Amino acid sequence: MNTLAIDHPAVRPTRTQLGDWTAWTVMAKWGGLLFIFLIYFPLAWLALMSISERPLSGIPLPLTMDNYRALVDDTRWVAPFSISLLIAVFVGIVSAIAATLVGRHLPNAKRSGLKLLLCVIPLFVPGMSMGAALFIVFRAMLGLKLGYWSIIAGHFIWAFPFGLLVVLVLTSRFDHRLVEAAEDLGASKLRTFLDIELPILRPGIVGAGLFGFLLSFNEVLRTMFLRGTSTTMPIYNWTMAASQQSQVPIIFALATIILLVTLPLLAGVFWVLYARIDKS
Amino acid sequence: MAAVSRSALSKSLSRLRPASNTLVNLYFVLWFCLVIIPLLVLFSFSFFETKSFVTTYTPTLNTWLSLLDSGRLTVSLRTLRIALTVTLIEFLIAFPFALWLAKGGVAKSTQAIILALLTIPFFLDLSSRIIIWRSILSENGLISHLLVESGLTSGPVDWLLYNEWAVHFGMLVTYFPTMVLPIYMAISIIDDALIQASADLGASRKDTLLRIIVPLSLPGILAGVILTLGPALAAWIEPSMLGGGFVNLLSNSVESAYSALRYPVVAALSSFVMLMLAILVVALAILARRFGSLGAVFSTLRS
Repeated sequence: MNTLAIDHPAVRPTRTQLGDWTAWTVMAKWGGLLFIFLIYFPLAWLALMSISERPLSGIPLPLTMDNYRALVDDTRWVAPFSISLLIAVFVGIVSAIAATLVGRHLPNAKRSGLKLLLCVIPLFVPGMSMGAALFIVFRAMLGLKLGYWSIIAGHFIWAFPFGLLVVLVLTSRFDHRLVEAAEDLGASKLRTFLDIELPILRPGIVGAGLFGFLLSFNEVLRTMFLRGTSTTMPIYNWTMAASQQSQVPIIFALATIILLVTLPLLAGVFWVLYARIDKS
Repeated sequence: MAAVSRSALSKSLSRLRPASNTLVNLYFVLWFCLVIIPLLVLFSFSFFETKSFVTTYTPTLNTWLSLLDSGRLTVSLRTLRIALTVTLIEFLIAFPFALWLAKGGVAKSTQAIILALLTIPFFLDLSSRIIIWRSILSENGLISHLLVESGLTSGPVDWLLYNEWAVHFGMLVTYFPTMVLPIYMAISIIDDALIQASADLGASRKDTLLRIIVPLSLPGILAGVILTLGPALAAWIEPSMLGGGFVNLLSNSVESAYSALRYPVVAALSSFVMLMLAILVVALAILARRFGSLGAVFSTLRS
């Protein structure tokens, strides 16, 4: 037995391990894909149930457009929707600008690791804790009246790290010889930035802005603490879903519309980002 | 020669943008005031207490001691148990999946699509994503309907919703991407040559996994645990929408303290979540040191 194993040290064990390994690989693959399915199946189901006569039942049939008609008739969602849209646009623009500013600075900065850590801390702080912390400073400590401004502050803190990471993907590979060449050829700083840096960084900046927009548009936990008396779209969804069953069909319809706008937008961002990264 | 020209280059670069540097430094100061100071204030606020709806600003441990009250302690322990279970299951599914995705010979374009599919959920409204599970899991929902139709069960199934299992399930689906993505990033930058060398030197696949891949992906595993455990400890939407009032977690305690204007309790509970997170991460890091030192990993990654 022993001599046999020594004579063929590699053959037998490798074959059996390979067999085990294949089983593991299959399990690993399908386990993860199952979870991705579990993430996206509810979205498809949501869209289907939004055109169902009985949205909370197990069968989508019979189909109807009543929920969308109810959505048009019921105007209570319009105000929170527009407010969310405005806040999200603002947060998106500010995150894009801030991410560009810091993203250009970090790759050549002193102690860039520490600075990066400082910037991405909000990713690691649970939304509830960050919301409570800002609430206590703004309301309990400083006694300010909460409103749109505090929602924007909370959303910006959440959105900025994502935007920064997206911009950093491009700035950390940026070739500074391009800027020097422009300087040598006598271009002004503004020209250099507009004609050289901006076109190269544009996908990252646009990505940062869109991420900021979407993160803000869908934010719940921080908004709950920072909203004062104002209501955003996700808060409206949340209170309606929690308290009034009759409102749920309208929420399904609204959520479906938002998904139909959001998903292509995101797919576009990722397509541009990955295409650009593969090229560079 | 090269070193000299590089330092000269960086000097000329820093001279180029003094204006933008002041702006960036100003931004960092502002950011510090907006992020770090509130977290410190949150922590210090937990050492105050509330008497007849007014916060008294004298240092005391009463608020922290009140967390040990029987009711709140049960809630804290339950939250900890559920969050740890979710994180563990998440890891067991995410690590093999990330390994397959990064080193399993998956085409670049497939990788990009899967990564995009895993990133997109961050930007979708969580409450509508969670509430739809009600129409799938409830007594007259999809699964119950299918089970009855197929004759597998005699009556409607009512144990799929409004209990702890439903909360676990909702959290597992929500936090899967936060566990996969950091682990994937850590594994994907491991040099294939290292894995090949390990195989060439006669290590079994198990040895390669435990002595090369796991130690080198530790930073990713730690990040994944932080990013999953944190939100799981503070989970708000899943327990209230899928627990139906039967599963009280820390977020419910925070909500009731918040509406009762007991801000020091809110502060203490929120700090408690972050403390738990910190303690568990430090414990994991110490445990990880048995595999290989984290510092060595970072220096390998840097080179």
